Amino acid sequence: MHYNLARGVNLDVIPTKQFKANQILINFTTPQTHTNATARNLVANVLETSSKKYPTQTALARRLAQQYGTYISMGVGRVGLLHTVRLKAGFINDQLAHTNLFDQVIALIREILFNPLASDGAFDQATFARQAHNLGATINSYYDDKQFWAARRLLDLYYADDSVMQTPSFGKASEIAGLTAQNLYPVYQSMIEDDRVDILIIGDLDEQEVIRAIQQLPFNDRQIDLGQIIYDQRPYRQIQRQVEYQQLSQAKLNLGYQLPIHYGHALYYAGLVFNGLFGGSPYSKLFTNVREKASLAYYASSRLMPFNGLLTVQTGIKSSDARRVEELINAQLKEVQEDNYSDQRLNEVKAGLINQYRSGNDLAGNLLERQLVRNLLGVQQADIPAAFNAVTRAEIQRVARSLKQQAVYLLSGEN
Amino acid sequence: MEKYFYQDFNRSTYHQQLANGLNVVLMPMPGFNKTYAMMTTNFGSIDNCFVPYSGQEPIHVPDGVAHFLEHKLFEKKDYDAFDLFGKLGADSNAFTSFTQTSYLFSTTSHLHENIDILLDFVQQPYFTAQTVQKEQGIIGQEIQMYDDDPNWRLYLGMLGNLYPHDPMHIDIAGTVESISKITPEILMENYRTFYQPSNMTLLLVGNLDPEETIKWVVANQEKKDFAPQEKPDRRFKLNDPTGKDVIPFRSLTMNVNRPKVMVGIRGLKSFDDGRARLKYKLAVDLLLDVLLDDTSDNYLRLYDEGVIDDSFSYNLDMQRAFYFAYFSTNTDQTEKFADEVMRILEDADQQIDQAAARFEGVKRGELGRLIGLLNSPETIGNRYAGQLFDGANLMDEVRMMRTITLDDLKAAAADFINPDGMSVYQIVPQHQ
Repeated sequence: MHYNLARGVNLDVIPTKQFKANQILINFTTPQTHTNATARNLVANVLETSSKKYPTQTALARRLAQQYGTYISMGVGRVGLLHTVRLKAGFINDQLAHTNLFDQVIALIREILFNPLASDGAFDQATFARQAHNLGATINSYYDDKQFWAARRLLDLYYADDSVMQTPSFGKASEIAGLTAQNLYPVYQSMIEDDRVDILIIGDLDEQEVIRAIQQLPFNDRQIDLGQIIYDQRPYRQIQRQVEYQQLSQAKLNLGYQLPIHYGHALYYAGLVFNGLFGGSPYSKLFTNVREKASLAYYASSRLMPFNGLLTVQTGIKSSDARRVEELINAQLKEVQEDNYSDQRLNEVKAGLINQYRSGNDLAGNLLERQLVRNLLGVQQADIPAAFNAVTRAEIQRVARSLKQQAVYLLSGEN
Repeated sequence: MEKYFYQDFNRSTYHQQLANGLNVVLMPMPGFNKTYAMMTTNFGSIDNCFVPYSGQEPIHVPDGVAHFLEHKLFEKKDYDAFDLFGKLGADSNAFTSFTQTSYLFSTTSHLHENIDILLDFVQQPYFTAQTVQKEQGIIGQEIQMYDDDPNWRLYLGMLGNLYPHDPMHIDIAGTVESISKITPEILMENYRTFYQPSNMTLLLVGNLDPEETIKWVVANQEKKDFAPQEKPDRRFKLNDPTGKDVIPFRSLTMNVNRPKVMVGIRGLKSFDDGRARLKYKLAVDLLLDVLLDDTSDNYLRLYDEGVIDDSFSYNLDMQRAFYFAYFSTNTDQTEKFADEVMRILEDADQQIDQAAARFEGVKRGELGRLIGLLNSPETIGNRYAGQLFDGANLMDEVRMMRTITLDDLKAAAADFINPDGMSVYQIVPQHQ
């Protein structure tokens, strides 16, 4: 059930006896700007590790352990042009804990969100400094993963230079030096007071008890206009290309295609089926022809980013094969554009997507994420298996023909 | 079929050994949509020396055979098993570890047909020179990709320190050179030895009706002829069971942003009884928590001194024939990290005494985390270790965890922590 607790503050409760552990998601949403991602990530890190009552990570961790390994974690993400800070909590059912954990967990969430380790309008200096340092190190270490590196560099190449999309949701290590225990505090305040808030709870819980407990959280009315959510940009006339060199044994070739078919679009499900046929499933053209038949890649897949107007292809290859692989990838795309695949393949891809969707119903966190996205986009719950089954070949062809190759990034191992 | 009802979890498990020796374990999860299936052979990358089926003399096979066989089993003369699952919308996959190979599917429909596909493709091998050659290219790429992964290199580097003359120090996938020696004949010899039904377990977890499911499995098996079952004669022997061959320190230079360091400790005590082994494992799990989990003073101090950060983790890895614990972090103070962790380990007895007040919380934490895993058919399946823990499942683990006492921790520490078994491996950036 959906409830409105205050202007811009929503609660969804999904009661179920399926799970042995319950989950809570509290999501704070605001439009992403050029500068807020890093700061909000740091806020999430500071809140997650300290509060007035539990001033050290250890004190907090001890409280969580006492509550039978309850976890409360905070992180950041994005939905198109929106930046989100997420608090996730998980805790076992009362029958297995032999105690009422729910009220204790809500009390701890309240402590973490509303009683941060701060005074005189500034976070505790030592906590701030440590988290700032760690966040920088964490962001830098993401780039040790070469698949991640290549994926991110492709996005840098694809997104227009002045777009907020240039900044990852987790921010930039280079921006951390500009943050202080003082100037971070208003970022926190604004998140609590001005962000849109969605609270989502799933588990073996009494709905009235949940509402009663959540109403105690001091969230007030706020502005709810989030502005534009879906990102799109004018296509480049020429494909953007970049090659970088690093010492590695496997090169990464990533491609970006503009695809203006977003979540909620009439062709959205056709877009997902197209992606499954092209490179998003093990039955796809990229997997079977680039990886398996031609043995040109260890991995080759595509990914639809339905809030960003973008489809990406990622491969791990030998540097010297880059040109051949790019040609072969585009030849696979042409096949789908020319309606060249069997009905059997199409049915497999649809069956796979439906299976994935139904399997997702077994993941508590997934059910919350889906509800959150529906809330943010204002979309009703659909009969998704029926939507996949209704996709036609003509619709898939329309999707395939609307792809425009825009960016090619090669992380090469050979100079 | 034996049934066991776990009242505390309101779930049941079923077990039956079929006439051909195949073990079948069924774990229904009411309310779930998905069924997760695993067909596992007790055969992994360390099993590279054995007496082949109906043979006399032990043979050595090239490193990476188990993993290679896993890749090749999907491919048949005129179809790929992967596609058969795909037609039904099921996901399928496989993995090879040091000691087991598992073939998996997960589905929300057509369970009976999927079970038949799984049993049939695993039980009908087809290897040719041409397909073997093609696979050498694909796996060569896979090995190279792992070579670029610093976390995998760190883990494997530690195994190389702890077991320098045992097969665990070699990548599960083998090397580009070793897999070039693999032939269809070698694959078949390994297959005959280790893919006998009596060396395998079929496990199904999630949405299933046990009575109906076991009938399907039995009907499938009764249609097939199997050669007489022969217990695989492995010739695996640790080079030095006393651990005197442990290399105390090695360092690798790689293209990384920050140094990475791991402290490992090799377990020496051996067990005959699966449940005793499980109890020991859970006691050591709790011991590691008491020493260094995020509720410990040690953790807070090292975190505040910048010796560890959020990348810090530790684990006890227990498999057939070997087990070890490891602690790793990204840090600029690799030496300090290693010294601190080893000092804390050596001081375990006193540390346990000091942590007495915290023990109940640490144990609750572990209990809650284990219970949380019961939401996932995959985790329940993947955690099932067969004979290693005498058929214990996750619910047995939770029950046993409830019984562990502070004295069990002390006993486990005395057995497990041995300065000769400790080692350090680090990865440092090129520019330093």
